[in-house]
Amino acid sequence: MRRAAVAIVLCLFAAGCGGGSGSNTTGTSSEGTPKAGGTLTFALESELRTLDPVVSTQLVERTVFYQMYESLVTIDDKLNIKPGLATSWVPSSDGLTYTFTLRKGVKFHDGTDFDATAAKFNFDRIQKAASSPRKSELANLDTTEVKDPQTLVLHLKKPDSTLLAQLVDRAGMMLSPTAVQKAGANLGLNPVGAGSGPFTFVEWKRDDHLTLKKNISYWGKQAYLDGITYKPITNDDARATGLKTGDFDIIRVAAGKDIAGIKSDSTLTYKDTASLGFQGIELFHGSGTFSDKAKAQAVALAVDRSQVLKNIFFNVGVISHGPIPPGSWAYDPSEKIYDQVDAAKAKAAATGFSFTLKVANTPDNLQEGQLIKDQLAKAGITANIQSEEFGSILTDTEAGKFEAALVGWSGRIDPDGNMYSWFHTGGGNNQGLYSNSSVDKALEDARTTTDQAKRKQLYDQAQVMLVQDGAYVFINHPVAAQISRSTLHGYVLYPDTMPRFVTVWKS
Amino acid sequence: MAPVAFLVSVAVFLLIHLTPGDPAAIILGEEGSASTIAALHKELGLDQPLTTQYAIWIARVLHGDLGSSLRTHQPVTQAIGERLPATLELGLAALLWSLAVAIPLGTVAALRRGSLLDVLASGFTVAGVSVPNFFIGILLILLMGLALRLFPVGGFVPFTEDPFQNLRHLLLPALTLGTAGAAINMRFTRSSMIEVLGQDYIRTARAKGAPWLRVVRAHALKNALIPVVTVVGIQVGSIIEGALVTETVFSWPGVGKLAVDGIFGRDYPVIQGIVLIAALSYMVANLLVDLTYAYLDPRITYS
Amino acid sequence: MSTAAAYQAGPPEPLAPGEGGDVRLSLPALVRSQPRILFAGGLLLLLVLTALLAPAISGHDPILTDPDNALLAPSRGHWMGTDELGRDLLARVLWGGRVSLPVAFVAVVVGLSVGGLTGLVAGYRGRVTDLLLMRAVDAILAFPALILAIAIVSALGPSLRNAMIAIGIVQIPVYARLTRAQVLQLKGLDFVAAARALGASPLRLVARHLVPNLLNPLIVQVSLSAAFAILAEATLSFLGLGAQPPTPDWGFMINDGSRFLANGAWWLALAPGLAICLAVFGFNWLGDSLRDALDPRLRR
Repeated sequence: MRRAAVAIVLCLFAAGCGGGSGSNTTGTSSEGTPKAGGTLTFALESELRTLDPVVSTQLVERTVFYQMYESLVTIDDKLNIKPGLATSWVPSSDGLTYTFTLRKGVKFHDGTDFDATAAKFNFDRIQKAASSPRKSELANLDTTEVKDPQTLVLHLKKPDSTLLAQLVDRAGMMLSPTAVQKAGANLGLNPVGAGSGPFTFVEWKRDDHLTLKKNISYWGKQAYLDGITYKPITNDDARATGLKTGDFDIIRVAAGKDIAGIKSDSTLTYKDTASLGFQGIELFHGSGTFSDKAKAQAVALAVDRSQVLKNIFFNVGVISHGPIPPGSWAYDPSEKIYDQVDAAKAKAAATGFSFTLKVANTPDNLQEGQLIKDQLAKAGITANIQSEEFGSILTDTEAGKFEAALVGWSGRIDPDGNMYSWFHTGGGNNQGLYSNSSVDKALEDARTTTDQAKRKQLYDQAQVMLVQDGAYVFINHPVAAQISRSTLHGYVLYPDTMPRFVTVWKS
Repeated sequence: MAPVAFLVSVAVFLLIHLTPGDPAAIILGEEGSASTIAALHKELGLDQPLTTQYAIWIARVLHGDLGSSLRTHQPVTQAIGERLPATLELGLAALLWSLAVAIPLGTVAALRRGSLLDVLASGFTVAGVSVPNFFIGILLILLMGLALRLFPVGGFVPFTEDPFQNLRHLLLPALTLGTAGAAINMRFTRSSMIEVLGQDYIRTARAKGAPWLRVVRAHALKNALIPVVTVVGIQVGSIIEGALVTETVFSWPGVGKLAVDGIFGRDYPVIQGIVLIAALSYMVANLLVDLTYAYLDPRITYS
Repeated sequence: MSTAAAYQAGPPEPLAPGEGGDVRLSLPALVRSQPRILFAGGLLLLLVLTALLAPAISGHDPILTDPDNALLAPSRGHWMGTDELGRDLLARVLWGGRVSLPVAFVAVVVGLSVGGLTGLVAGYRGRVTDLLLMRAVDAILAFPALILAIAIVSALGPSLRNAMIAIGIVQIPVYARLTRAQVLQLKGLDFVAAARALGASPLRLVARHLVPNLLNPLIVQVSLSAAFAILAEATLSFLGLGAQPPTPDWGFMINDGSRFLANGAWWLALAPGLAICLAVFGFNWLGDSLRDALDPRLRR
């Protein structure tokens, strides 16, 4: 109620003062006529750790980054790469050089200019960082060169068609060098003036709230919202309830069990689309039980995916047939290798063995583990559930100390991001030590060519091979969803599950 | 007290460090790899022998430095300081609620000794400490939050920002945390009231025809409350414990929730710091209770 | 949790020598003075029986999943409804007793044996031994009970066994102090000193004098400790630090069940909660009434 009052006052104010550029203050709240004003309250599913994109590891941090910071390139909701802070780019014929033309007239929130020198500063910061996940994302980057204030050249060690996709996210985010140097060690907590995006950073009180406000000097089309308040609410029920009561305007994820209630609530809006990730069982092929391919295939045949989707996820999302998500240009809907559960076939492949399945000790993971255990029992396979803290599972999988683990992947824009590091021999996420030289070749070739049709072919080939091998037991693809109050309009649903609030307005 | 405090610090340190689970892996999340985890171990000093880690830790503690959270890099003292007001507010509200229920009920039960009211009150006493406080919380959420939709079922609004909303969010957690205390305080009020009412000067006043209410107010209440005050002091411990679960159930951003989050995130410095401070505050509270008791009742000497 | 400890406010004081004899009343006399004992005892007996007979009387398998029948409201086929994996809730609640009641038993035994022994040795040996042992006991008491239990279980790894150990450790101080106080009292008596000088074995002294005097306060304390243990175990497993799934455990079931409150599945969190309340209430009631029956000052 208080927020509505504020919104009305602001509208009157804006109307009285003639309004800023790009804001429409007719005051009508009919669908389709954006209205400026109001603050959005966003309930996050966990607290952030840092606001510095170079060291950021958490997904929720990106929900803030995408409003505050900007990258050289962006995507549209169909995952096509679009200009961001770079207006155009030209790869050299050998694919080892990318020349970016940077946008003119962009200022950071602290008033300094964005130019090639500032851009180079950001790439250098990644390369000089003691430890940063961005380093492996930009592993192929050799040097950055400032040709002139509007031209930046990236020199690569090897041709890499995934480079642009990497630059959409944190690896390509541009921060003001002045602000970064001024903040020093405090950058992760207090990045005042560091971004260039449609919202500026105001303050962050951990475990309480983080606020952004509208950037009135934004180079592009201004946002409608006056500001955004992020609140970390880890409890699923508290988030869903807060949405219903209007304490929150929008949440990013909701438990599958709450979706039906949300859909039937007329004060709420629910829309979803397949996201980029996949979930299922990671298997260790290096030695032991699953070094025998037949056993991996048996498990893949015995898991009843539709039952898991129904019971655990309440039919939110879709069954997964491989690492390529449905929203990707590389997706082939005809590929359905382990579509139907077949206990008989599973038994024929391999039966009468047991293994340990590690699951994170959250209630829904435990529930899924129990369900899978009973499904496998029907095929004569015994899964012993070992529940652990999620961090422990990560450590164990890192060290190869596991047989099977219920671990998923949040997904990346480019299909390479879902496949190379996971299934190429020696890949950074390939803790299962899966190795197939034909898959390796297909993935490597797909990286060096920029012909999308050819890449799709290669990725599909690789997918068929690794799924048949039982490299990973794919169970489901989660969704990217808009779960908000119906007073929220203009939200565009992106498969990467990231909100972009510049187009959003409240009625 | 000093040797006990030392033992307490060693116990805290050992317990937390024996905890399985690698904080470095948790911090790095899905981006972690063997090399980044090892690097983070070095950075956080987790690769040193335990005795060295203890020595470093205890030296810092004595300077008031409890280290920094492994997850958020925030100094633990600061993290606790930020959340302490919320927990204190909750604890105070719970205490007030428990006394507001206990004193009148206990007094009435004492006055109407042996009646149905007294029996029911006794039942409430035992029942009140028999219900797990998270269950009370869930029942309240079910009833008030979901069925009746009267109160929010989670979250927090700072008092300075919006007093009304703050109190609305405070009500259910305070009721949850205070109920067990209400039961205990009621029992103590009742028994000490009975004892006081049986005293000669009270009976004399009654014999002289003074009305019950005046007698109670003028004489009995004050004297009966002395043991209650000391029991309240003891409840500091149960408030600390109860806060852990209550804050988690209601997403109340206090020290308890910080502790539970820390436990699940294997955030050693945070858990160590909170357990240490909880133990020390509990010790201090007990000490104060003993001193108060000795002061009020000169027959008891504190050794 | 520690509210129960505060509620106990220490066990009834050890009796002065000489008082011990005439207070050990027979069971019928106890019940006559406090009829509540009968009801409380009966309740507990019922709980123990249902836990023991759970395999026979539960009717459904508490662990096997049946996803097609998930989240059914209470009905003829399932008296307490089903959980999110289709398991019968009544069966799980009954089997849960087989987890919680043994916890109470083991925790109390650990506390009693370790604590009692500590107090005995400390009181008997005196001086340095006494100082060291009681300082260690004080260190345990310095922590709010639940916080220490959580820290111990986190360190040892979440499991039912470790929960029992942790709760047992937390119980040690109360029994240590109880035993020690009684030992100290006995030491000061002439006839005891004489017996010792004559070479009477400590074991004999313990059996003949210590145990009878301790019996009354111990009975009360054990009952109250059991209540605390069940409550503590419920809290630990609510936080995921107790028995691990699929083992049915009341505290865990409440946490798990509370996820579905918004879906309208009220029975999931309610049933195990009532079970906990009943068990804890039974022990508290018994301990309470025993204390009133055995306390000579309250004798009518």
